[in-house]
Amino acid sequence: MRMTCLVAALLVAFSAATARSEVTAKPVVTNLNNPSGLAIQPETGEIYIADSGNQRVLRFKDGEKKADRSIAVAISGFGKDVYGKGPMYDIGPLGLLFLSKNSLVVGDGGQKDGSEQLHFFTLPDSGSELKVDAGKAVGPIAPGEQSAMGEGNFYALASSGKSVFVTSNGDDTKGWVLKCDVDNNEPGKLETFIATKVATEVDAPVGITMDKDGNLVVGQMGEVNVPKDSLYTVYDKEGKLLVKAKTDLNDIAALAFHPKTGKLYAVDFAWMDSKEGGLYRLDVTKEGEETKVAAVKLASLDKPTAMAFTADGTLYVTVFGTTEEGVKNAAGQPMKPGKLLKITGDL
Amino acid sequence: MRLARFICGWTLLSLLAASAAAEESLVIEAPAGLKKVPVPADNPLSAAKIELGKQLYFDPRLSRDNTVSCASCHAPEKGWSNGERFATGIKGQKGNRSAPTIINAAYQSFQFWDGRAIEVEGQALGPIQNPVEMDLTLPELVEKLNKIDGYKKQFQAVFGTDANAESVAKAIGAFERTVLSGDAPYDRFKAGETSALSESAQRGMKIFFGKGHCSACHAGPNFTDGAFHNLGLGMDAKEPDLGRYAVTKLEGDKGSFKTPTLREIARTAPYMHDGSVATLEDVIEHYVRGGVANPYLDEEVYKLQVTDEEKKDLITFLKEGLTSPSYPLVKPPKLPE
Repeated sequence: MRMTCLVAALLVAFSAATARSEVTAKPVVTNLNNPSGLAIQPETGEIYIADSGNQRVLRFKDGEKKADRSIAVAISGFGKDVYGKGPMYDIGPLGLLFLSKNSLVVGDGGQKDGSEQLHFFTLPDSGSELKVDAGKAVGPIAPGEQSAMGEGNFYALASSGKSVFVTSNGDDTKGWVLKCDVDNNEPGKLETFIATKVATEVDAPVGITMDKDGNLVVGQMGEVNVPKDSLYTVYDKEGKLLVKAKTDLNDIAALAFHPKTGKLYAVDFAWMDSKEGGLYRLDVTKEGEETKVAAVKLASLDKPTAMAFTADGTLYVTVFGTTEEGVKNAAGQPMKPGKLLKITGDL
Repeated sequence: MRLARFICGWTLLSLLAASAAAEESLVIEAPAGLKKVPVPADNPLSAAKIELGKQLYFDPRLSRDNTVSCASCHAPEKGWSNGERFATGIKGQKGNRSAPTIINAAYQSFQFWDGRAIEVEGQALGPIQNPVEMDLTLPELVEKLNKIDGYKKQFQAVFGTDANAESVAKAIGAFERTVLSGDAPYDRFKAGETSALSESAQRGMKIFFGKGHCSACHAGPNFTDGAFHNLGLGMDAKEPDLGRYAVTKLEGDKGSFKTPTLREIARTAPYMHDGSVATLEDVIEHYVRGGVANPYLDEEVYKLQVTDEEKKDLITFLKEGLTSPSYPLVKPPKLPE
């Protein structure tokens, strides 16, 4: 097991320019490279991080004391692609999802559109590092009738138990959510499922999660250079749009329900102005037939990308950045280090 | 109370008064296929305000030498553009971008090709002040209008004050919100009228929403995503027009321009932000070439692979499908003295 030296010094609490003083965001892992996906391992509570720019998945054990913490490479050898408009970022694996303690699904972003795959891994109890080809890959959705360009950048994942759903970037006339049926952790065929752009007339499904009724909740990111166009949407099991509501957020990158309170949270990447990025609680109400969403800002965060709750309700969020302070991204702009943040306080 | 055709010569819009008692709450009935017309809370519509805005829109006295009106570059009979490559201002001065159509501008938050203004009310005063276009300062504009008794009375009636910059913008904006095009053959076909589109147009529509990838950007009822994209046009110039970048200073916005509506596209040639593409056939060829390569070329722009027959079908859809029989051919009003 190759241990890395990424465990953060937790000596200085990250101020995170909190919008509400009760909520703090503290880095628990730094020097990540464009981290883009998060999942909490059942039973162990270990945090799996898509260290996307380094083309690998890490596993991190958090703890009160530094000695209790550890980090290691779980899966390596993913491909590398460049993503973005203006700022351009190196990316590899993106969305992460546990189906069970030893069954991890990784959405890839390191290939070109049309050749991207969804990888199903069986993790060894030993914690040994796996290579990407140890998994079973499904897909791609190649260029064709369903997707003019082919699908790629599998941002985020959700599971109904019977199927894995993945948000995808490729054919912008469709904005596909893809589906892969799963039987006893064995994946079936990766298929197109919901054409979210057709349903909502807004681009780019990115954040995705399941609600308690088994409906898919999708954050439609919208155009990167159009402010406040992100949508909260809900689809039933058949993929029928049930709810579409404006959020006034810029670019929803992830969604998650609190496991205890059932409240919904989102992170906003805010491509145009990262100062507007942050962690939000989405308060969803119904007024007659109309669903309204009030986005309550809990903390300002610089380019947040993914989020996950532990079973006890502790929230972790990844923020984009390069391995070291000042390292330039693919567009030649200096970046701050990528981080895993632990969010504490009144959510 | 239905107030259809209440403006002289304006037979294309029907307006509903939400309340007979409160004129400042007119609701514009959107043509079929379009959504509810957005109206900002601080600029509710009224028949009198729209009429005032219409007069201002067509009045060349809003320019320094009384020769150029809004309608000079955004003319109803020319697709609410000007039929030329660039806008022409006072003394024959030429701008460096084409005059975007006003049609359905109410549905677009960003105004101008680079989106530097928000909403039509935010746009209205820009060309008036531009030295290359109408060349009036706002104080000059206000002074000029308040010397025209007919305007002064109308501003008093509508806004309760003499003309000022804000009320001019609101009046023009109110009028522009009524310049709408919908109920086109495409809308009727979509609503179930299967004979509304010819077979060629139907094939073209399938290409448009399918392998042509056109609807990646030309999306929704107004056929625009309201966003900014780099198609490469002009990016090979020595000093290219950087478009949206001038506003945002974001690297990725270099050479990006707002996606225009395709409603009434057959009437609004020449095309693109620089008017450099003369015909729809040439537009298709631009996409067949995959745009013009440059470091900021939008990822949605790639080589369009269509046969000659498919090109014809695509153009048929654009011309036939998106041209409304109820085109808003507004006639110039009598201007106040």
